This record gives sequence, structure tokens and C-alpha cells, in this order.
Amino acid sequence: MTTWHTDDDLLARYARGDAGPLLGASVEQHLLTCAGCRRRIADHVDPTPLDAIWARIEDQVQVPARGAVERWLTRAGVSETDALLVARAPSLRASWLSGLAATMFFAAVGAAWGGPRGVALFLLLAPLVPVAGVAFAYGPDVDPAYETALAAPYPAARLLLLRTAAVLVSSLPLTLLAGLLIPAMSWTAVSWLLPALAFTAVVLAGSTWARPGAVAAVLGAGWVVAVGSASRASDPAAVLTPALLIAYAVAGGVAVLVLCVRIRHLARLGSSS
Amino acid sequence: MTAALTVSLTGVTKRYRGTPALDSVDLSFGAGITGLLGPNGAGKTTFLRIVATVLAPDAGDVRLLGRVPETADRLAEVRRRLGYLPQEMGFPRGFTAFGFVDYMAVLKEWTAHAARHAEVRRVLDLVDLGNVTTKRISALSGGQRRRVALAQALLGEPDLLLLDEPTTGVDPEQRVTLRQVLSRAGERSTVLLSTHQTEDVAALCDRVVVLDAGRVRFDGPVTDLVATAAGRVWLADAPHPAARASWRTGTGRHRNVGEAAPPGAEPAEPTLEDAYLLLLGDRARTTAVAA
Repeated sequence: MTTWHTDDDLLARYARGDAGPLLGASVEQHLLTCAGCRRRIADHVDPTPLDAIWARIEDQVQVPARGAVERWLTRAGVSETDALLVARAPSLRASWLSGLAATMFFAAVGAAWGGPRGVALFLLLAPLVPVAGVAFAYGPDVDPAYETALAAPYPAARLLLLRTAAVLVSSLPLTLLAGLLIPAMSWTAVSWLLPALAFTAVVLAGSTWARPGAVAAVLGAGWVVAVGSASRASDPAAVLTPALLIAYAVAGGVAVLVLCVRIRHLARLGSSS
Repeated sequence: MTAALTVSLTGVTKRYRGTPALDSVDLSFGAGITGLLGPNGAGKTTFLRIVATVLAPDAGDVRLLGRVPETADRLAEVRRRLGYLPQEMGFPRGFTAFGFVDYMAVLKEWTAHAARHAEVRRVLDLVDLGNVTTKRISALSGGQRRRVALAQALLGEPDLLLLDEPTTGVDPEQRVTLRQVLSRAGERSTVLLSTHQTEDVAALCDRVVVLDAGRVRFDGPVTDLVATAAGRVWLADAPHPAARASWRTGTGRHRNVGEAAPPGAEPAEPTLEDAYLLLLGDRARTTAVAA
């Protein structure tokens, strides 16, 4: 065995890459077999780039893969951090959206061939789709870490509104598409949009007092009763007469105003939670 | 003096359906660790929720980190410097330990990737979970989950750290690890620790506040509270009927916590638990001894 060891000057030159090919190769050979010189070379190497490489490796292992919804949100112009937060809503998961697509497909089939009962089923479901989506997007019922998140500086109202927008953008086109498959529906195939948007606004306004899920449940029950009784009186589309459409629009407008006035209440736990 | 206070509550009252959970409480805190003790329903959780800004009091003034957290801006300023571990904290489905703490870090406005991921790794290492970061939280033990919950509270070394029963379900070895983490945090931050574990308070805190039925029953150095039990704890061969609490210890003798030691009894060194039992009397017995 050799008793030759590298000195500090040589190690520094080798670490910088200035040792030249011949000397460099012999230092390298020596380092492979000499633990003492390997320890000493650490003082001559800048750890910053190595730490950065190591952090990238750790990220590869630890950072969860971005889901389809998250990628789609960033492509639509949402910032990466907002997308990460928004995509965590249960009603924006791929499983929820595919379940929704299947439900609306069968509702459309029912409406196309099921006569008035089929139309009633479609009208029952369509306006409640975004309502359910918002109810399952935010709040203590669907987020076990809700209270912890509330104490963080990210505004709760912003998260609720971003998630609501994502729910509307993902669920309304699906429902619209299903509605347009129905030849006999004509105007009804799109006019359900008005109660759908109004109800969504009411859930948002109501969530400044109570859990979004509770507000949505009350609203949903009311809608089921309304469509049910209209259907029994022969025409389920009676819930979408022009007079009622104006009423939905007014209710939605009032709900938006209430939301604007009370939005700061979202920053704290409600009386019900 | 006042400038160094991070938390200052004056006349704070909170009622639930008419019943006061906190009844005109005045308390203030500076840097250091304070233990909050009290039976279930004493108001500890309500108190921490108010300090954590997630609950607004019905009456009274709250000042946190030199601000009145009422407008959205002030609220965000306080929340930026606050770490909070609620009593009952769950995790949304499907998260890994890293994924959850990363999600919380985004909510705490860590926007830059590299710095955020490094910080998430740092807090997970602190609570000794560095080797399970990629495991799903649903596959972790109860004690490990509690430590994930604690990790998110430590993000960004907050000036105000509020912990509601952080050691629930954590085994003794890990509790010692957590004590080291908290004692280090207490050197620079204000740490409020609500717990049923009197030994955690005795080991960590310089100051203890005992709440009972929404009111402050004791507020002072831990040693002062322990001193109130001096001469009131003794060992005897049988339980004493006049003792507040009495139990058979491992040595076969009975530890009696009561008013005065009867003649012939062997005096025992009082603990914080003894003092707590004596302070609250019968109300404390069920909760403290059980815990």
C-alpha cells in the first residue's frame, strides 16, 4: 500500500477541476481507496449544489403526484398553489366527476325515453348537481382539518369561492351536455341553469351562518318537493315557468348581496361548528 | 413589560346557548411555555380557539402579537405568525404525511416550491417522522398521526404556538422527543399548552393556569402551585376517610392527598397532580386521576 496522501492544495485543485487529466486521475484513484482523504475533500467542496440535487431527489420521492384536476386547473391559468388547494375538494376528485357523468347520462336517457317521469328526474337532478358539488367542496363536514386550516392566513372565503368556481366549471358543462341529448326538452334543457346558479348562491350565502351541507340539504329537500308536486300535477316543467325563473334570478341576486355583506364571517368558526 | 406580551385577553366571555364557557377571563402571556389545566368543559379549548383567532369572543378585548385581530388584514397578519393544533384534528382522505403538511404549508403562504418542501421536511424530522413521510396518514398509528398534526403547527417557527392536548396517544418515548421540541420552541415563542397530563406541565412549563367552569382558578409559577400541597400529602398503610383522594401505590402503601397529615403518617413529596387535586377538590378527581 502507498503511504502517499493528497495535500490540501491538491485536493482543492481537484475539487475545482483544475488538477489536469493525469494528476486528476491519480487523485481519483487514491480517493477511491483512502477514507481519510475522502473525509478531507469535503472541506473543499461547496455543498450547495449537492444539497440542491439531494432536495430534488427527496422531492421526487416525497411530493405526491399532481392529480388530473390539479393539472387541468394550472393549465386553465390557476396558480400552482391555488390549484393544489382547490383540487383537494372531495367534489373535484376524478371519482366524483365520473360518478356525476354516469348519473347525468342515465338521467338524460331517462328524460329522452321515459316520458314526463324521465323529464321530472332530469329536472330533479340538474339544478342540484352544482349544489351538491359546493356542499362537498368545503366546510367542517367534508374537511376534518377545517379548524386548523381556518387558523392559517390563506383566506377561507377565497378557498370557498375558488372551489365553487371549479365545481361550476366542471359540473355544469356535463349536465348541459346531458340535457342537450334530450330532443323533447327544448328550452327546459337550458333553463334549469337559472335555479342551479341561484341555489349555488344561496348555499354560499347560507354558509356564512351554517354548514354548507346543511343549507344544501334544506334546499335540495325543497326542490324535490317542488318538482314532485309539479310532476304529479302532470307537468314537471311547471317549476321553470317564466314567473318562477324571474323569482330564481331575484333570489340568486339577493343571495349574492348577502354573501358580499357577510363574507367576513367565513374567517371564523360558525355558531353551528 | 406590556410590549413583550404576545397574548393579552381582557374580560373575555364566550357563551354556548347561555352557558358560559369562558366567564370574563383576564390573562396575558409573553415568551415561554404555559400549561393550561382544568377538568373537561373548563373552557380550555374555547380559550385556545379564541387565541387561535378561529372563534370570536362574545365580549372582551383580545390583543395578539400587538394587534387586534378583527379586520381581515389584521387577522391574516396574526395568522401568519401563529401555529395551532386543535384538540380534535382529522386529516382529509388520501394524504401522505408529507402531502398533508405540504398542503398546510401552502395555506400558510409558503408559495416557493423548494423552500416549502425543505420546511415540510424540517418539521417532519423535528417530530421524528422523517422516515414515514411517504406513508398514507390512514396507515399511521394514532401517536404518529398526532405528531403529523403537531408538525403542521410548527411550520415557519411561529411566534405563537397553541397546542390543545398535543400528546394524546403518543407513547412515553415520543413524548420525551416532543418535550424537547416544545422546550426549544418556548425559548423564543409564546407556547400555550392545554393538557390533562400534569407531568407534561411539570416537566415543561414555567407557568400554569388552572381553568374551572370558565374562570381562572390559579395562575402562577408551577412551583407555587406544587407548594400549596406541601404537608398535605402523606403515605399510610390504609386509605384515610378524610382524604380528597387516596390510592394504593405499587409499594402497597396508600397515598393520601388531603388536608393535614394525621399523626404518625409519613409525609410524601407533593406533585403537581396532588396540588391540582387539592385546588379543584372533587371536581378534578374524575378527570385528573383518570388521565
